Amino acid sequence: MLCKIAWSNVRRAGRDYLVYFVTLMLAVMVFYAFNTITVQADFIASDTRELVRMLGGILSGLTVFLAAVMGFLMVYANNFIMKRRKREFGLYQILGMSRGQVSRVMVLETTFVSAGAAVAGLILGMGLSQLMVFFTGAIFQSQIENFSFFVSPFAVGITLACLLVVYLVSLVFNLRVVRRSKLIDLFGAERRGEQVKTGHPLVAAVVFIAGVALIAVSYARLWRDGLPYSGTTEETEAFLITTAMVIVGTLLFFFGLSGFLLKALQGVRGFYYRGLNMFTLRQLNAKVNTVSLSMAVIAMILFLAITSVTGGMSIASSMVENIELHTPADFSQTIVYFSTSTSAGVKAWAGGAETAVATEPIDVARVMSALATDADGQPVDFSRVSDDMVQVDTYDSMLPGADKPVVSLRDLVAVTGDELPKGIDMGSAEALGLAIMRESDYNALMAFYGKEQANLGEDGYLLTCDMGDTLGDIYNHALGQGAELDIAGRSFHPVIDELDLSAGPQAVSSMGSNTGTIVLPDEVVDELGCPLYNSTLIGNYAAGVTAEEGQEYLDGVSLESYDALVMNDAGQAIGTIGSRATRATMYETVSSMMGLISYMAIYIGFVLVVACAAILTIQQLSSVSDGSTSYRILSELGTSEGEIAHSVLKQQAIFFAFPLLMGIAHAIIALKVIIDLVQLFGGISIGSTVGLAVVIFGLAYGGYFAVTYLMSRGIVHDAIRVRKTL
Amino acid sequence: MPLQSQTPARPQEAQHMRTAYPKNPPAAPTAPSAAGMEASRAGVPRVLEVQHIEKVYGSRNAITRALSDVSFSVAEGEFVGIMGASGSGKSTMLNCISTIDTVTSGHVLINGADVTALKPAKLTRFRREQLGFIFQDSNLLDTLTARENIALPLTISRVAAKETLSRVEEVARRLGILEVLDKYPYQMSGGQQQRVAAARAMVTNPAIIMADEPTGALDSKNARLLLECLETMNRTYRATVLMVTHDAFAASYTHRVIFLRDGRVFTELNRGDSSRQDFFNRIMEVVAIMGGEGSDAL
Ligand SMILES: Nc1ncnc2c1ncn2[C@@H]1O[C@H](COP(=O)(O)OP(=O)(O)O)[C@@H](O)[C@H]1O
Ligand SMILES: [Mg+2]
Repeated sequence: MLCKIAWSNVRRAGRDYLVYFVTLMLAVMVFYAFNTITVQADFIASDTRELVRMLGGILSGLTVFLAAVMGFLMVYANNFIMKRRKREFGLYQILGMSRGQVSRVMVLETTFVSAGAAVAGLILGMGLSQLMVFFTGAIFQSQIENFSFFVSPFAVGITLACLLVVYLVSLVFNLRVVRRSKLIDLFGAERRGEQVKTGHPLVAAVVFIAGVALIAVSYARLWRDGLPYSGTTEETEAFLITTAMVIVGTLLFFFGLSGFLLKALQGVRGFYYRGLNMFTLRQLNAKVNTVSLSMAVIAMILFLAITSVTGGMSIASSMVENIELHTPADFSQTIVYFSTSTSAGVKAWAGGAETAVATEPIDVARVMSALATDADGQPVDFSRVSDDMVQVDTYDSMLPGADKPVVSLRDLVAVTGDELPKGIDMGSAEALGLAIMRESDYNALMAFYGKEQANLGEDGYLLTCDMGDTLGDIYNHALGQGAELDIAGRSFHPVIDELDLSAGPQAVSSMGSNTGTIVLPDEVVDELGCPLYNSTLIGNYAAGVTAEEGQEYLDGVSLESYDALVMNDAGQAIGTIGSRATRATMYETVSSMMGLISYMAIYIGFVLVVACAAILTIQQLSSVSDGSTSYRILSELGTSEGEIAHSVLKQQAIFFAFPLLMGIAHAIIALKVIIDLVQLFGGISIGSTVGLAVVIFGLAYGGYFAVTYLMSRGIVHDAIRVRKTL
Repeated sequence: MPLQSQTPARPQEAQHMRTAYPKNPPAAPTAPSAAGMEASRAGVPRVLEVQHIEKVYGSRNAITRALSDVSFSVAEGEFVGIMGASGSGKSTMLNCISTIDTVTSGHVLINGADVTALKPAKLTRFRREQLGFIFQDSNLLDTLTARENIALPLTISRVAAKETLSRVEEVARRLGILEVLDKYPYQMSGGQQQRVAAARAMVTNPAIIMADEPTGALDSKNARLLLECLETMNRTYRATVLMVTHDAFAASYTHRVIFLRDGRVFTELNRGDSSRQDFFNRIMEVVAIMGGEGSDAL
């Protein structure tokens, strides 16, 4: 019997429940599908399998976080539905049901909905996960091997666990609503809730303007200060203040929005007293108490979603775009020298070994054959895969005992009159010395790249860098202006007038290897007595060696001991073995990174957007059904159904559009600042990736909006149809 | 005082009714009374003509015949009351006339136009331009102030803002509700709400104002104030008013009362030149004839 009541309640409260149910179901579906990633890995060609497994681990963690957010929103939505049913619970009690029985009805209802969503969501999720295997394969640019239908007990487990938490929390809240329902709620409670308690519209307008002002100030602060990358206390504090300002500003904005609109448009009489305009504005204003908080929260969540999706994907795609530039050879092996400041620390770490700052470059190939072996246990010999290699040495522009580098970014900025890029403060600019390279090394590298040789003469210099945008612009300005530099008491002038990015790379890397190097005549470098910074052996496979064979040999290389130190002829430790990279692994890294980020971005974006849109939908539908009486009155006064629907559409468009617009505005500012930082290290393109984000957001958010409006039209239609009886 | 009427036929009908009623209530003699009415008002243009309307609710197994063969007409500038027990079909009739509901058969002519034949789009416009409504619960929009509520029918018809506001002020002054214009419905008393609703009903100068038990939820003082409003509207603006009520006192403000019983016109009373007190007494007599079973019948 109770079961029957519960079931018919679910069906009757259908409209509210339907949206809740569909959203919960979508969440279950997405949670399940994304968490099958480790199982999907089994179908993926072995080379990326490990990476996909790792992604699985990250996604499971993310699922818990998203489940928490989603759970919070679903509990909120559920409470919203419940509050509207207080009267109904009072009625059951008047009809003679005990409170315990009402509670049991409640438990059954919640169980029906949650269980239904779980079953439907899992079935859809299983379908989706089969399709996703191919998507995963495409993203990780890998082959799908011997595919067959699969179910992941792990994913089912984690999904159900998350759902169970949402279920239990909702249940606790629902039972509390029942327990607190009083018979008095039956009388007049409904009307009371609809009273206009907006307060003075002038107050609202002031609140709104204060909100706009706070947001504007916080934008300006973020624009000026950037992100707190250096992590100093003042910087972090300033950033927290900015964050607090934007949050409070957003809240005030939404609390004041409708009051402001009302006040402002009331001034325009010709507009206000036309058609249903005043009705539309008044309805908006009447809802301010129930919805402004959630609009503000949704704006902030959408902001997070947009920023993480767009930012993450932009960074990833800029890596993909620059990978060709950053891998100028088949492989490279780097050795890193100790600097004056690090060598002392290393001494203690290396168990008291004698350390020194290198002044003579060391032969990388020889060091490697001494410290590493290949797969067969033989000393490493790069000439087995390559007959075209070159060693590049770079020097540190910070001379021992000096207090500033020989040439630094700051020196260049002083000449060109540019501003220092954000993310580099004056203090670190002092330290941001350029690397130094000998003219002969540069020419050897150019010969290896098949590029033109340089002739610096007595007092020429040139700059190289393989990262465009912010840093590249500064170097280009310096070269373009023919900036004269004072080095060791002499004046040097540039021999090129434009930066050649393709001459920049000094190693094979995924994100670039050269933030800025000045090439000087050999004798000047000798004269300066610069300490060494690093040495890189860079090479191409020999004609008879395929990329696979080369990769196989290099994969087999292993160091004799993890903390092997590079020794000079005097038996002093002068450095450590740095990174070894091949073009193939860098391409793979970048595309996997892209896959990883796309995966997470889609996951996060979808779940957050769906949850937000669902809240708006539930709120709007209930507000439309509250408005039924009003629509009937309007109809009786001679308003056509179309006009009423139009008024509803305007209200809903405002409720859906404003949080989204606010989220986008916040995101644009935040992304601008994030991109400023990222651009220091290379180009970034936001255009292409925004496309994907727009599709995700458009489909989910727009879909909910469309459903809301269509269902609302149905409610309006019914409201008008019902004949006035009494 | 015995029943008095301009037409000699009516008292006889009433007499006839009185004797016939308790055992077997006969069909109300609608046709003669309507004919009589038309005769008495010849020459004045008729705003409303109700011709043999019938309204049936429900499907095959559960039929309610809410109205059967109702006919009457209303002349321009008339203030007509409709009385009857609860469930006698008063609201149904008003809704059918006002195009909120559709008739099962028969015709309703307003200013000569047959509203039962109008298409939905035209109906909306017709309602907006020709009719004004006042309901038992004032039916004001609770998010709008009184001023905005009264202005609504004008803004819907796209009347210029300036004219809208001056017309609202004027009606409000006439009905004595100037001081509540900037209040929300929940800040007003029930009587004030009803007067605002009355102002809203007449601000467009409709052909007919329809009121369904407008005093039903009011105390006697407020009821009197509202009825005086309706009287003012009728007298000074020459508004045609059709008011459903089950309160004889309210009905005594009208020029003529049509009595409904079980979905048929039972009889009608004309006030003529008699005083309101006099008219009230006559109404009470008919009520007594119709009721028979005590006061709760009406
Ligand atoms: N929507 C409806 N569906 C079915 N029957 C109805 C409906 N509205 C009214 N009725 C019936 O029609 C009859 C007349 O109702 P109504 O016009 O509201 O009476 P009154 O207003 O005189 O009290 C009643 O018997 C009522 O039950
Ligand atoms: Mg009625």
